[in-house]
Amino acid sequence: MKKSPILEEEAERELSDIFHEIRQVFRISGVNLNFRKWATYHKFFPVLWDAIRPIAETRLFEDSSDHIRALAAQLADRLPRLKITPSVFLGESQNFQIQAALQIYHYINPKLLVITSVVEYACHHPTLSPFQPHQPDHELIPRGVPRGMYPMEMIDDPPEDLTLRKTFRDIERTLGLTDINSDYRTLALWPEYLVAAWHRLKPIVKHPQYLEAIMVLREAAQHQASDLLPRLALSDHQIDLLGRSRNDFLETTSHFTHLLPPLMLNILLMSLDWRSSQELAVSPFPAEFQSPVIGPSS
Amino acid sequence: MTWRDYQRLQLVSRLDDRFVSYVEAGNGPPLILIHGIPVWGYLWHGIYPELTRTHRVLIPDLPGFGFSDKADCFDRSIAAQAQMVDAWLGHLGISHATIVGHDIGGGVALRLATRFPERVERLIVMNTVCYDSWPIELMLQFGHPEAHRKLSASFAVRLLRQALKPGFASSIHRDLLEGFLAPYTTEVGKLSLIRNAAALNTNLTTEITHLLPGLRIPTLVLWGEDDRFQPVHYGERLAKDIPGSRLIRVKDARHFVMWDQPTLVTKHVLDFLDKNPSISAHTSLG
Repeated sequence: MKKSPILEEEAERELSDIFHEIRQVFRISGVNLNFRKWATYHKFFPVLWDAIRPIAETRLFEDSSDHIRALAAQLADRLPRLKITPSVFLGESQNFQIQAALQIYHYINPKLLVITSVVEYACHHPTLSPFQPHQPDHELIPRGVPRGMYPMEMIDDPPEDLTLRKTFRDIERTLGLTDINSDYRTLALWPEYLVAAWHRLKPIVKHPQYLEAIMVLREAAQHQASDLLPRLALSDHQIDLLGRSRNDFLETTSHFTHLLPPLMLNILLMSLDWRSSQELAVSPFPAEFQSPVIGPSS
Repeated sequence: MTWRDYQRLQLVSRLDDRFVSYVEAGNGPPLILIHGIPVWGYLWHGIYPELTRTHRVLIPDLPGFGFSDKADCFDRSIAAQAQMVDAWLGHLGISHATIVGHDIGGGVALRLATRFPERVERLIVMNTVCYDSWPIELMLQFGHPEAHRKLSASFAVRLLRQALKPGFASSIHRDLLEGFLAPYTTEVGKLSLIRNAAALNTNLTTEITHLLPGLRIPTLVLWGEDDRFQPVHYGERLAKDIPGSRLIRVKDARHFVMWDQPTLVTKHVLDFLDKNPSISAHTSLG
């Protein structure tokens, strides 16, 4: 039976604390679908988060994600332009806010792809030599939502608006989603924009160059996960906490590693209406440098 | 005008790492219309077009409200909002303006007039919060720390819709109420509104009481006299405390006086502006 992702506002006690920590460590103004879906594996999720956190708070992880973002920008640049904005009448503030919303996902999606790839790898290769986060070369990045980041605001799914409801279902069908991603729910705050964007995206997602770009991104993320980033400290015993849900969890995680590359490309293609691929190759919220912290985790 | 149509008119100003959405129309001396809680700039859409005939009308969504910045971690008190309006006017190159405020927007206007007197050349307050007239019980409940957990966004909006109805003298069209509350239908919108409600602080009007008799600007106090949220006796006191000000009691009108009696309110505002002309048509800070 399909498990519904846990909404941020419905998270209680320990889960609420973990969601708060996700926002701080991932430097993001909301909790994405990946985590909300993983959170449905109640016993395993806290263990998983304890394993993810030491990786996610390092410069090494941020750099890996930046690398994937830059690669995605390069790949998106070769795809046909959407040119959505000329076809939708948007006010100045709406334009500004859509760009601000796109920036959130342009920032977080590469991080999600890398971490999901790391989790997928770790589940298939339980480790005996867990990640040691506080090596001198593992600088920690600052915690907290970057200044000026737009809140991760989104509409409910299913939406009340019939056109949006149809668009959501079409996105799900076309992209093979089990749940509509936060990205589309955020963009649905401007319904005409999302509908027009999807109208233009839909034919592109079948384009051979688009499909090839997805493969390149997925492989690059797998490479980051297996070679550059040390493994998560997940043991067989911990993975056993999933019980009979083990395969289901692996399937869910694998699903995310498949849907994140197209999501990244879609956000990039929309962003290219406003920014150049060179601009988009750079992190919209670069993590400031700070002195490496050596010692036990606080 | 639907709220979606109104939203399309909104421009944006960036102030440090915050942004303010606002509507601007017309030419002439600047006239700033400030909404209260729990609405946004859309509150004024019924009367502002008439005002643009003689004035450059600017209608901000206060930060935390409407389609302005709803991020965390900033002060949403009326003191901070007054500072924000001051900074925003400076950003737009407006050295002084006529300020019109309703509800807590009136509180912002009173703080501007007393704390940034050089910015305010004429003042109009409508059914404003003042002295210890606020926060009303509804907003106290809404700003309770547990509200975020106890109320879903859709339930909160349903609750507010019901709670706002007594603010109108006659039945109000459902679309209008939905428009007033549209920015708060998401979890982020709801949380932002809760934060706004939690920031309501009566001290911020009581502490300027002693400054009111020192105001030397033309002031109009306009009040829907059947208001249950902000009773008219506060308007009487305000008119007594601000030298040279005048109280106009609007009959058959409650809190949302500009919706109960739009023609009359527009007329009173235009008469006041006409009788108290702006000292300069349009002054820029350069």
